[in-house]
Amino acid sequence: MSLLEFRNLTYSYNSRQKKPSLDNVSFKVEEGRRTAIIGANGAGKSTTFYSFNGIFKPSSGEVLYRDRPLIYTKEALRELRNDICVVVQNPDEQIFSSTVESDVAFGPMSMELPRDEVDKRIDSALAMVGMSEYRMRPSTQLSYGQRKRISLAGALAVRPKVLILDEPTAGLDPQMAREVMELVDELCCTGTTVIISTHDVDLIYSWAEDIIVLNHGDLIYAGEPEEFFSDASKTASAGVARPHTFSVNSYVSKMRGKEEAPYPRTNSQFVAKMAPEGTVGGKIKLVPVGDTVEPAHFNGHVGAYGYSAKKALKALGIPIDYEFDALEMCMQDAVKGLDSVLYCDENMIKMARDRIDSLETFGVKAEVIM
Amino acid sequence: MTDEKLLETRDIVYYYEGNKKPSLNKVSIVIRKGVKTAILGGNGAGKSTLFYHLNGVVQPAEGVVLYRDTPLSYKKKAKRELCSHVAVVLQNPDDQIFGQTVQEDAEYGPKNLGLPMEEVKERAKRALEQVGLWEKRDQNSLQLSYGQRKRLSLAGAIAMKPDVLIMDEPTAGLDPQMALELMELAEQLHHNGMDIVMSTHDVDLAYMWAEDIHVLRRSEKVYSGPQEGFYADRELSYSAGLLAPSMFQINTTLSAMRGVDPAPYPHTEPQLVAKMVPGKPRGKMEVLASKGGFDQGYIDSLKSSGKIVGIFGTEIRKHISSNNIMVDFFFGGFESCMSQLLDGKDSVIICDPDCIDLIEGKIKEMSAFGDPIDYTIGEA
Amino acid sequence: MDTLAYSSRMLDWSPLGKLVLVIAVLVVNITVDSLLVTFVTLGIGLALMAYSTNFKIPFIIFLAILEAFVILIFGAGVISVNGMDNSLVIWDTDFLWMHFHMTVDSFNKAWLILFRGTAGIAVMLAYATSTPIPHMSLAMKQVHMPVELIEIVILIYRYAFLLLERMEAMWNAAHSRMGFNGFRTYVGTVAAIAVGIFVQSTNLSDKSQIALECRNYRGYFPVFSEPAKMGVKWLVVIIAMAVGIYMFGKYTEGWFDMAHILLGV
Repeated sequence: MSLLEFRNLTYSYNSRQKKPSLDNVSFKVEEGRRTAIIGANGAGKSTTFYSFNGIFKPSSGEVLYRDRPLIYTKEALRELRNDICVVVQNPDEQIFSSTVESDVAFGPMSMELPRDEVDKRIDSALAMVGMSEYRMRPSTQLSYGQRKRISLAGALAVRPKVLILDEPTAGLDPQMAREVMELVDELCCTGTTVIISTHDVDLIYSWAEDIIVLNHGDLIYAGEPEEFFSDASKTASAGVARPHTFSVNSYVSKMRGKEEAPYPRTNSQFVAKMAPEGTVGGKIKLVPVGDTVEPAHFNGHVGAYGYSAKKALKALGIPIDYEFDALEMCMQDAVKGLDSVLYCDENMIKMARDRIDSLETFGVKAEVIM
Repeated sequence: MTDEKLLETRDIVYYYEGNKKPSLNKVSIVIRKGVKTAILGGNGAGKSTLFYHLNGVVQPAEGVVLYRDTPLSYKKKAKRELCSHVAVVLQNPDDQIFGQTVQEDAEYGPKNLGLPMEEVKERAKRALEQVGLWEKRDQNSLQLSYGQRKRLSLAGAIAMKPDVLIMDEPTAGLDPQMALELMELAEQLHHNGMDIVMSTHDVDLAYMWAEDIHVLRRSEKVYSGPQEGFYADRELSYSAGLLAPSMFQINTTLSAMRGVDPAPYPHTEPQLVAKMVPGKPRGKMEVLASKGGFDQGYIDSLKSSGKIVGIFGTEIRKHISSNNIMVDFFFGGFESCMSQLLDGKDSVIICDPDCIDLIEGKIKEMSAFGDPIDYTIGEA
Repeated sequence: MDTLAYSSRMLDWSPLGKLVLVIAVLVVNITVDSLLVTFVTLGIGLALMAYSTNFKIPFIIFLAILEAFVILIFGAGVISVNGMDNSLVIWDTDFLWMHFHMTVDSFNKAWLILFRGTAGIAVMLAYATSTPIPHMSLAMKQVHMPVELIEIVILIYRYAFLLLERMEAMWNAAHSRMGFNGFRTYVGTVAAIAVGIFVQSTNLSDKSQIALECRNYRGYFPVFSEPAKMGVKWLVVIIAMAVGIYMFGKYTEGWFDMAHILLGV
């Protein structure tokens, strides 16, 4: 169902602008679909976010949330912003309180929730971003990566239906960036619709189901990524580069006289497609982690996917080979014909299974053992 | 690739503002002349203090910093000298803008060096032209877009005409096109004698660009040397907070599966494609030097003979954009043309005259991945 | 100073309690003229500081304390040579355009002020090194100062940190481009840094405005964990200490006559 929609939306900051920041833009964001918004700087991405949550009112056209046009009264907007949370790129713009705890409490307390509910939410939000020990720290003592995680926790504590992240991995080292994306996956699996804007094309290609491409306020494309990236001139004029898996797949397939489809979006899918004929995939033992976990006795690298999985393994003292990007690493092992064990948060099991099963379409079957 | 040492730190230790734990703990790094260097890992504070050790702005609590094998003297005059040889560009451009207009800001450094006004203006002009901001020289520096401010901060450093230019996260916050343009400029500068040292979190970027890497983990240096040596040790790269670059992962996996040697290691897309499909007949490459002075008609005539046209170099780029000339590949020209060439198409690279041997070098690098590329050099 | 406060052992004591205690002790100090009281107060201050920070003070703060001390000594010196009473004259002389007239009373008074000042500094430091600004402002809230004022204090504090970070970054960047090479350049650079920080702060505030709206700001910053309130226990301790010190002071007034001890007068 259409969650968010722009209908002929035009927005200008002021009347002196030569061209509107968003010019007659129409598209839909489907509920539960992982959506990415891409485009060069100045394309209109921030304007889009702030139009979603009603901060910017369109000069013409409409914004619809769940098929109903936004109402721009104070009350209605307050309600809306409990459903739609925007996390901006620079954490210093949105951390206001002097301690981590009070900043994360900001959201739930503005919702006028009872005190113990607020407490619970602070706990779970900090746990999800891995900052529980920092609860009573002053915000001035945090590093950039920690501040980014706190600003994310602040939004998580509100438990929104739509989470919009502007450059969530910018400025983070690769492992922290992966952790954030894992958290995003977890949110997607538990019913939050996540919209991300980033310049990292490879990240988008491996994560998003739908992309929205803007250029100087115009909508260039909305839909699945392949159709857009296949058009090299469109991609170039939007100031966007092609993801490397797409690009290399395109060249190599052409040169080998093979079909470009199916299009590999991740490294493991790419390697599966390029694997020699008759490659036998390895096995992946998938172990769900809920309140309890049964350690698996299985030979192979051990991966932990999801916050609970990592916590559980550490508590059990089981050494983790793949702490970051575990799902992808285990899939790469499988394509290489190696076996591995993946401990995975319960609510992400289905997603993990689907991804592992996708390898078969690329030519290498990885067997999943539950 | 030489063994000549440009900058070196020996076991430097630095404590940030009364902290008990050092932010740099016995860090030893050698930066060699002509070697493209990247610094990975660690957090922001550690890396920027490291840079400021390299240009003498900060003095270590212990250890020595050497420039061209001479230990730094922290006397005023010597520090002044060093800052004209080693320039640092930080990640946040707003922290480095000191002039009201674009031109004033580019002139800031050379003026402070005490150079004659004529030379100051000349250097500023050259620097602004190289980053593509000369037309905007009278604009208010703080009203530029983010990408333009980043380029301005780079111009300010280039105008100092340093031997070494240290860039902290040069592509952060830039959209892909601007990032590729900036990397091209960095390559050009490095090729023309201004050694570039880059610090980044983007392992894929570093893999594409650097010859040598130094890896910091928290406050210590854990690795110096070629990239493969680092990423092959998975535990080491993991403990430094890094993941192996995609190209490295793909290459090692496919090589293992096909039973071939992972070396030579492809660092760029065309190199990977060449290694994966070695047998296909390739096209030819024409490298044409030009100072501008051609028009769309010329490009069209090249394209009509089936050639793919790409560009390389700041002068050409300026000419193309100011005359609205359309080419096939406006950014990432060399790599894209090379990939097309591997698919049998002929391609043309129009480049700045001082980039001819740079392009030649890149073509020769390709020959490690299959048959040598057939190319000619000429003038547009 | 703030980092120091957050690592203090006295962090979780009621900030209001600490504040009232400090004020009470200082007031009592001024109302009695006993040197012994100042010694006792100094002792209290030092003891609290030792407990609070183990005397691990950053160098810069140490320098600031030293500076305050020097001013104190100078002030006491001035008082000592401006005696305007009828007690015994110790020293009377002219120096340049000044006339020095030191009497027993003025001498003693100077010492009293010196010791009082030192004790005061110690006690206030004990407070400052154990109470970060956010706690201080919450103490203000507990005495029902206007919420807006408190929020302004907290925001100023928060943004001051951010802007100090930026200033340091700009300072180093200026150094790298020889921005402090010569007086004129120095001035120009400082001006440029001021402009830069100003512009960055206005940009930051603009963007923060939007972020505040995104987070459903309702006009106040709710506080989740308030620090300990000042309860009856504190009140009892403070009153007991104040009364005790006052009576001790009154009893020991004049016990230490500095003029007698040092000059035999």
